[in-house]
Amino acid sequence: MTIRKLFIANRAEIALRVTRTAQRMGIATVVPWHAKDRHGPALKVADETVELHGEPPVSAWLDGAALIQTAIASGCDAIHPGYGFLSENAGFARAVAEAGLTFVGPPAEVIELMGDKITARQFAQRHQVPVTPSADEAEDPQHFAERAAAIGFPLLIKGAAGGGGKGMQIVREAAALPQAIATARAESLRYFGDGRLLAERFVEQPRHIEVQVFGDSHGQLIHLGERECSIQRRFQKLIEESPAPTLSPELRERICGAAVRLASAAGYVNAGTVECIVAPTGEFYFLEMNTRLQVEHPVTEMVTGLDLVEWQLRVAQGEHLPLAQAQVRWHGSAIECRVLAEDADAGFVPDTGQVLLLGEPQGPGIRFDNGVTQGARVSADFDSMLAKLIAHGATRDLAIARLRQALQDTLMLGVTVNTDFLGRVLAHPAFQAGATDTGFLERHKAELRPRDWNEDERRALLAVAGAVSRDSHSSALPEVFAAMGAWRN
Amino acid sequence: MTTYVFRSDAGQRHQVLKRGDTVHVDGSPLSVRALDAGHYLAPVGARPAHVHVATHGDTLYLQLHGRSCVVERVDPTHSGASAGAAGQGSASAPMPGVVVSWIAAPGVQVAAGEALLVIESMKLQMTIEAPQSGTLEDLPFQPGQTFQRGAVLARVRPEETPA
Repeated sequence: MTIRKLFIANRAEIALRVTRTAQRMGIATVVPWHAKDRHGPALKVADETVELHGEPPVSAWLDGAALIQTAIASGCDAIHPGYGFLSENAGFARAVAEAGLTFVGPPAEVIELMGDKITARQFAQRHQVPVTPSADEAEDPQHFAERAAAIGFPLLIKGAAGGGGKGMQIVREAAALPQAIATARAESLRYFGDGRLLAERFVEQPRHIEVQVFGDSHGQLIHLGERECSIQRRFQKLIEESPAPTLSPELRERICGAAVRLASAAGYVNAGTVECIVAPTGEFYFLEMNTRLQVEHPVTEMVTGLDLVEWQLRVAQGEHLPLAQAQVRWHGSAIECRVLAEDADAGFVPDTGQVLLLGEPQGPGIRFDNGVTQGARVSADFDSMLAKLIAHGATRDLAIARLRQALQDTLMLGVTVNTDFLGRVLAHPAFQAGATDTGFLERHKAELRPRDWNEDERRALLAVAGAVSRDSHSSALPEVFAAMGAWRN
Repeated sequence: MTTYVFRSDAGQRHQVLKRGDTVHVDGSPLSVRALDAGHYLAPVGARPAHVHVATHGDTLYLQLHGRSCVVERVDPTHSGASAGAAGQGSASAPMPGVVVSWIAAPGVQVAAGEALLVIESMKLQMTIEAPQSGTLEDLPFQPGQTFQRGAVLARVRPEETPA
């Protein structure tokens, strides 16, 4: 069943991304907007736009029933959820199907199975996909300490009901175990009112490695390679790349094989990502599965030369996967940086403002997935990601060099962005050597601090400030006004 | 002469004076060339560098060598001619709003009471007039830009009265 008109239930860069591919495939597109989000680039490209209502603004994208109604009213026969919002909401997927529309994603039952971390973990174990060894105190409280010790050190004792790093103790040797259990229990009781504990293998300096999988409704399921996303702050990815540097071919095969085995067993359809952590010693453990397209999918697209949104739409239309596993080819290296509206040097504090001057980088191997247009307001209403900048090269060094130049060429004046910080990470010798793990940013914090402007630079900046103030009637004005020059009534 | 500070180092003031294509920064002359709207070439030491800039009121956002910074234009505590005239040559916004259009342009001579720009505030349009005669030094906000209450909308440098 060919999709004729697609409703893209998302915004900013992903809305544009999906719209472009749909248009290329001859599918009509409808993109929503909100009064507080009227500058999205997709709105200038889509065939139709429709206003959503809701306060706060994000609620408009979380109102499944209203989104479905809007899609139907616009004459759409399919909905693409993008990422975030309702993309992994089984209830929404089910409601879309029940309304007679095609949901571009996996079936609701599969979203449900993989969406719950505990059921997903148990499912993984049943299919010989390694998970971090753990011991749940509740299963056998009397022997908890022994069972914990049996996991091996270092291990983590944490509150079963907890989160946010509270009530967690890292234990590196057997002698420290009894005290750690006592402390963790006391903290868990204090913070969560629940002293039950879990013991889990603690992986030091883990790499975050994830596998892109793709299934169709005819039982085919393949992988499109892995991505490494170890450069994170506050558990959010900042830099992602494919292939994972320093991953041995043997380990790559085992991880990708496990991902395919897991997704196949789950009857997975459409795009999905199996996330794992890899220990320095080479063991890998299943973390969770994301049942949607990921933010960082462009790096996979650039090394495989494929369009994953096109594959999503084809699979949603009931087609077979365009390629068999043996036909997939990988070339070179691709790295993505997330351009965020935040002051990375002041503790990654988000910034708000207006994009007064926008300059997009370009060049060989450069891809810029922009989520804002010039004049767009950046507020706390939405995610702070303004754009994604991706570079590809035949070698990882070339990709890094191209990306560093492109970051310098990126202009987003009027709001603080993290592009200079990202450039410093790419320039760091440890990053260049591929020595990355999820503790990278914390560990190299001091080396990643900016240097002060020197005297010559400060003078140049002030000189331009002085020059533009006198020319203030022409700076930052759209060309048609600037060309008018000075005028009087 | 205009005073600027880097937002990250607001305690240190810098004096900037533009004369033609030369801008004097704390006494040092630099030759600055405009390439395009918001795009300039300025020397960093011996070599010219590209600097991009966008302004919003008294705030300037600049980028050099891929790094950005914020510079603020500071009202001097005393303007040349009139005694106790801090801000006397300035017209400020009575309430938050948006600039609709300019009537006069920076650099021209204006008379006291002359219309300088049109703003819209709370769905009412009003004309902002020159508070005194002199040279219209600056209109910090461009058509389409919004401003807060109290923002300086126009600066007029009074004419020197002969002794």
